[in-house]
Amino acid sequence: MAVELTENQRLAAINADYEERYGFHDAENYLYKAPKGLNREIVEKISEFKSEPQWMREFRLKALDHFLSRPQPAWGSPLLAEVDYDDIHYFVRASEKPGRSWDDVPEDVKRTFDRLGIPEAERKFLSGVGAQYESEVVYHQVREDLEKQGVIFKDMDSGLREHEDIVREYFASVIPPNDNKLAALNSAVWSGGSFVYVPEGVHVEMPLQAYFRINTENMGQFERTLIIAEPGSYVHYVEGCTAPTYSSSSLHSAVVELIAKPGARIRYTTVQNWSTNVFNLVTKRAVAHEDATVEWVDCNLGSRLTMKYPSVYLLGERAHGEILSIAFAGKGQHQDAGGKIIHAAPNTTSNIFAKSISKDGGRGSYRGLLEIAKGAHGARSKVVCDALLLDEHSRSDTYPTIRIGEDDVNVGHEATVSKVGDDQLFYLMSHGIPEDEASKLIVNGFIEPITKELPMEYAVEMNRLIELQMEGSIG
Amino acid sequence: MPQVIEVCPVDQLGPGEMRLVEWEDLEIGVFNCAGTVYAIEDRCSHDNGTLVEGELDQEACTIECPRHGSLFDLKTGKPLTLPAYVPVDTYPVIIEDETIKLEVE
Repeated sequence: MAVELTENQRLAAINADYEERYGFHDAENYLYKAPKGLNREIVEKISEFKSEPQWMREFRLKALDHFLSRPQPAWGSPLLAEVDYDDIHYFVRASEKPGRSWDDVPEDVKRTFDRLGIPEAERKFLSGVGAQYESEVVYHQVREDLEKQGVIFKDMDSGLREHEDIVREYFASVIPPNDNKLAALNSAVWSGGSFVYVPEGVHVEMPLQAYFRINTENMGQFERTLIIAEPGSYVHYVEGCTAPTYSSSSLHSAVVELIAKPGARIRYTTVQNWSTNVFNLVTKRAVAHEDATVEWVDCNLGSRLTMKYPSVYLLGERAHGEILSIAFAGKGQHQDAGGKIIHAAPNTTSNIFAKSISKDGGRGSYRGLLEIAKGAHGARSKVVCDALLLDEHSRSDTYPTIRIGEDDVNVGHEATVSKVGDDQLFYLMSHGIPEDEASKLIVNGFIEPITKELPMEYAVEMNRLIELQMEGSIG
Repeated sequence: MPQVIEVCPVDQLGPGEMRLVEWEDLEIGVFNCAGTVYAIEDRCSHDNGTLVEGELDQEACTIECPRHGSLFDLKTGKPLTLPAYVPVDTYPVIIEDETIKLEVE
């Protein structure tokens, strides 16, 4: 006969095996590891290590001044107060240079990626893999036919070295260094990330993929990604994030800039599963010119706190923006996610679909902005945010902001909050489905409109992650 | 009806210098960009930042909003980087009798 557990025991048992499942980490073996904290010397050291041009060095130092002079944001989550910027390593160098083939990658790094399944994924599905291990990308390859078409897919450091003119033209044009405190931090210490350039009219049929992983205790990861899609081109970029679990906090603060020129389409998919001590404070922003489309598909699991609101500025007529977001907040977690769309031109269209699931006392927040500028007549937008609460202790908040400066527009906003009801569970259980299984089915059905947009292997991973999160959740 | 207002003698606004001019309810930033004087509305269209407190790039002829970093082209008033996306007003500059003057409405 099963022993009845108290609620506290049940809560404590949830994800108790996380370390075993996802928390593997390798012994630290680095060429260089900066001391904790941030000052000019460390920023100069990073720039020196990378042999950067003078303008980038100056850009970093200016960004550092912005970062140091700005207060911590007063909005968002109270958990932000837990971030201790002086207790973080801002730069770790894992290996000498990016490897061109899998054989060149150091054994211990390779083992980590083997466990994450990267080589298999690459062989079967991917056009190229950029695997970021700590601050440097150690492995990068683009399929030959893409290179022949002129597609550039490199880590950001190599992108700067080899395509300085393009980088200089677009870098920080979408997210200036003093956009916000975290963007300033990233601008000062950025390392790695991806640089993607798709020439006019080129369609990249297979998704480009990068995989990020934090391994060192108390290490910040500050990747910088820039994607430029020239007129009429198409690219789908996928990033996945998992990190080992540690007792003290890590900080992840990326900056991602997308530029979709007239008629181009960029889809950017993220599936992240940070360990529950990571602060994930990311700035993602895109511009869509005339007839261009930008889609953010954003799945947020794990982390202590995520604050992330991918945005699209629709600058050209008939541009389209789409944000699909899932957030799963478990015990001790706050997922503050959402999206922003700015209609700055006539006849632009957009959708925001955000879904959050909260359980075991977790908090899921939707925070969004829909802005229609004066002159953007004929704009159409639909915002839908749904929250699913799995128990009485969990919390959901919605902070939608809508600003409309034009009369001739069509805007819809829907929000729902629901609970997994006893009647739903009873119905499924009456068909012979065990309670845990029934609950998973309900959750999977809830997020299905978004997971169906993921590439196959990510949809599978996403479902696995949700199952892991759900284990033991119904008592 | 356009009206001409005086800003200051030419020698009081050297290259790289900028100043704020107030006229009725207008606040105008006047910038000397490597010897050429430009005048734009002193209000970032993103979040109302005061542009004359920003960083002037004489080579590119831009002013950077100190609040969130949008760069504005001083010749056209157009934002060159986000988060601002709406141009700000520009004002014709007249140099007459060794004095910088603006045409305002």
